Amino acid sequence: MFLGTLVYGIVNSVILALVALGFNLTFGISGIANFAYGALYVLTGYGVWILLNEVGLPLFLAAPAMVVLTAMAGALLYRVVLIRLRGMAISEVIATFGVGLAVLEFFRYLGFIGFEYTLPPLLDGSLSIGPVFLDLQRALIVIVGVTLTGVLWLFTHHTRLGLAFRGIAQDEHTAMCLGIHSDRVAMFSLAFGGGLCALAAVVILPIGTISVDAGYDVLLEALAVCIVGGLGSAVGVIVASFILGLAQTYTAMYMGSHWMMIVTLVAILLILTIRPSGLFGKQKELEERI
Amino acid sequence: MLQVSHLMVFFENALALNDFSMEVGRGELRGVIGSNSAGKTTLMHALSGLLIDIRIKEQRRGGERITLMGKIHYEGEEITHLPPHERVQRGIVLCRERHPIFPESDVLENLKIAGYLRAREETRRSMEFVFDLFPVLKSFRRKRAGFLSGGEQQMLAIGMAIVAAPRLLLLDEPLLGLSPAMQRHLVDAVQQIRSERGTTILIAEQFARPILPLLDYAYVIENGMMTLSGAGPELMENPEVRAAYFGV
Repeated sequence: MFLGTLVYGIVNSVILALVALGFNLTFGISGIANFAYGALYVLTGYGVWILLNEVGLPLFLAAPAMVVLTAMAGALLYRVVLIRLRGMAISEVIATFGVGLAVLEFFRYLGFIGFEYTLPPLLDGSLSIGPVFLDLQRALIVIVGVTLTGVLWLFTHHTRLGLAFRGIAQDEHTAMCLGIHSDRVAMFSLAFGGGLCALAAVVILPIGTISVDAGYDVLLEALAVCIVGGLGSAVGVIVASFILGLAQTYTAMYMGSHWMMIVTLVAILLILTIRPSGLFGKQKELEERI
Repeated sequence: MLQVSHLMVFFENALALNDFSMEVGRGELRGVIGSNSAGKTTLMHALSGLLIDIRIKEQRRGGERITLMGKIHYEGEEITHLPPHERVQRGIVLCRERHPIFPESDVLENLKIAGYLRAREETRRSMEFVFDLFPVLKSFRRKRAGFLSGGEQQMLAIGMAIVAAPRLLLLDEPLLGLSPAMQRHLVDAVQQIRSERGTTILIAEQFARPILPLLDYAYVIENGMMTLSGAGPELMENPEVRAAYFGV
């Protein structure tokens, strides 16, 4: 039983990490907290569902198509709304949250509620790890999570655009003096964040149902992971995902599943009182040393 | 190569640059000498295009109103209102004051980011030149730039500007806050950049003593206005300059 909980705890941790990666990427590069993140997640879910059931596309086309479309929605959000608010953190939060609310509540208005809104799993079947049975979809989530983290690391450290991302993230004016186009990079950061969010939705949603409320939950989870890990820190996201993911699963196991949400909220409160910049809020530490 | 004519910059109603005209010819090393708040950085921002970006961002958020009048020509083309990245493509690279580097990245990565617009091979060759120029950077290439000393960060900042392959290199107060020995080292490096790469260089400085004798031509700026200009060695002899900048 302990081992089973551990396996499912790890799966839960990877889910949290996947959900938070995109939010963290956007914030880390452009300093924009994309509160429409949950809406993009749900948009992908319903989008794939519509492409599958109304348009009749096969899953292997519908899923990548929605990843691309959601990335474009992120870019559009920057071009149309955020570009005029750059640098005003409160306005960015209000604007993105407003757009998110509108999208989510529009789906509710259209009547996208109920248990028939599910996505088929990309992989069917299960495997056993010792005495524990794990369905292949959950195994796939872990594989996608690990691969994506690796690919993302390679991308930001070894490609031209990735290095430009790191430059803008650290000092916008210096990066601009080297020929990096600040607005374009910020737009890409929202597009990449949206794309990552959509990828997470495509692999995670098949293990549950698509609902409007999932949008709010996902946003809360992404925020919790980023606050605990330290906003903008990739290592922080991974460590925080595992702390929260395992804590959630063990709490659900030994105290009851209705306590699960409390874990996230308590973690946010604890971190904000003890270490407000998060476990890996490194930038400050460096400044203090100089 | 660069002509600035009747440039005026207002921040709201405050006049930062007043009817400022100057030029830089190909291959020259010129300087703008002035004290704090004389308008040197405003001039550098106007030349690099950062001012355009700052103005747009202030406009978007309804902040400070920045007005720019006059013209800047570069290689026969008017660039007064071009955004910074288009100027870098044309070969104008600014190294800002207070050694701007990317503190979380190591030295090597800083230089790689600087090569954003350049081909990989060109970046590699430029990096070799930078390591020859500043051997200390080579020994620290895996060290995080934020942990380097002020002088090392300034070397790195200049190195990054070189990797961006400037034809006109703008240096904003490269000697600020450095020891006299480090200042001499950097002045030597500036001369080497000019002689080995044929880069045209414009320096803004308040520490006139180490740099003024080497300048082909210098402009003295006070309160946004040009008060004096002439060849560097000539200005060294000028009693007003001596009184204001050398304390004699």
